[in-house]
Amino acid sequence: MFNQLLINGIIAGAIYALVASGFSLIYSVCKFVHFAHGAVIAFSSYFLYLLFSILGLNFGFSVVLSIIFASILGFLIDKIVYKELRKRKASNTILLIASVALLIFFESLILILFGADVKIIGYIKISKGIEILKAIITPLQIVIIIVSIILLILLFLFMKKTKLGKAMRAVADNKEVAEVVGISAEKIYSWSFIIGSAIAGIAGILVGLEQNLEPTMGTNLMIKGFTAAIIGGVGSVPGSILGSFLLGLVENFGIWFLPSGYKDAIAFIILFIFLLFRPQGILGIKR
Amino acid sequence: MLKIQNLKAGYNGMEILRGIDFEIKPAEIVAIIGPNGAGKSTLLKAIFNLCDIYSGKIIFKDKDITKLPTHYLIQEGICYVPQGRQVFSTLTIKENLEMGSFVLEDHELFKRNLKDIYSKFPFLKERENELAMNLSGGQQQMLAIARALICDPELLLLDEPSLGLSPKAMKEIFEKIVEINKEGISVIIVEQNAKKAVEIADRTYILENGNIVLEGGKEILKDERIKSIYFGGE
Repeated sequence: MFNQLLINGIIAGAIYALVASGFSLIYSVCKFVHFAHGAVIAFSSYFLYLLFSILGLNFGFSVVLSIIFASILGFLIDKIVYKELRKRKASNTILLIASVALLIFFESLILILFGADVKIIGYIKISKGIEILKAIITPLQIVIIIVSIILLILLFLFMKKTKLGKAMRAVADNKEVAEVVGISAEKIYSWSFIIGSAIAGIAGILVGLEQNLEPTMGTNLMIKGFTAAIIGGVGSVPGSILGSFLLGLVENFGIWFLPSGYKDAIAFIILFIFLLFRPQGILGIKR
Repeated sequence: MLKIQNLKAGYNGMEILRGIDFEIKPAEIVAIIGPNGAGKSTLLKAIFNLCDIYSGKIIFKDKDITKLPTHYLIQEGICYVPQGRQVFSTLTIKENLEMGSFVLEDHELFKRNLKDIYSKFPFLKERENELAMNLSGGQQQMLAIARALICDPELLLLDEPSLGLSPKAMKEIFEKIVEINKEGISVIIVEQNAKKAVEIADRTYILENGNIVLEGGKEILKDERIKSIYFGGE
């Protein structure tokens, strides 16, 4: 039982980490809450469904196209909506409201385009799980964990080692000085959306393979990703990853004591506890 | 080297500089002093295109640089150190310097310049992998200046470099500025600490209400009227 819950927790954590890391990256650079990140995730799932399940394209090709699509969608959201609002000197609260509006807009768009019924991508036939240490895990779940960890390591190296990654951290740290040394903040904002949304695309694909697709899936994932980011320290990408795994584990171990229907309630209770007593999160710096 | 003609500038339509004429020659230190709100910082910001310019011209080495984007100004040889020990506090010291040379395409050039900076500021090399937030106030200000110097500028703009520093750190900063200047870099320095700035400067402009009311050399240190207004009546 313990091992099974541990593995379930890690699987959930891996998915949350993919949601939270992209979201946190965008938040740390642009300093506003981009809830429409959830819509990018959902759209990427549906896009894969369209390409692979409806049009019957090659699976690998569909995956790559879906990631690129998510990336472009994120870029365009920033370019068309957020950038225009920033130009008009909109506050971060206005941007947050816009992001919620975008989330609802895109979910409604999915509803109109694909309908309300649950969709299945169906690439992986329901396979029997493998037993590891008395816990059952499916091959797809192993893939999710591995892809998630590799991606997070790559993201970490990108932020630490590349010039663009360092410039993103510089803008996140002090936008005014970044401008003074010749870094264009607007360009870096665009890059944070391109990269953050590509990660969202990968998250959407993995979630779409593991679970069923429904128009509101983005909101559900975003709530978990947001909670994870708050727990870990919003604005800190490593923090959001830590928070994700913590949330996944606590949720799953929680149902040891409580009926499984309380899983989401546990997440919210943790969110409130952190917002009340440690709003800067575990790794966040109090400013 | 840099010439400003009849500059009017400010923010959001408000005019703060009301027609400034200003000049700095190669390898000079020029101080800009004056009361709060006179427009001293705005003058530096106008050179670096960080505020709105309504009219007038800024000419650097016979080239009109008015309203040019930042990365272009850095490549032309002008670097700016903003007010208040502004460093990337969550980046390491080396990363801070690397970001200072963001516009340099050539990585070899960066390495050469970095070596040069490390010889001028040995404590930066010793602590290159530490986060900038762990430095003391004076060291952060040194880092901010080093970050500007790494692009090998011909003209350095310093906005209140001594602000909020201990007397000892302040002294070190002023010594460093003189040292930098001796290598042939022109320096425009805006200062609250007027006396100290005038002492190291070749020439001084006094700004009041967006206008230059006086221009002079070190002799203004002895002027009774100026003394009582700007040097605290010492």
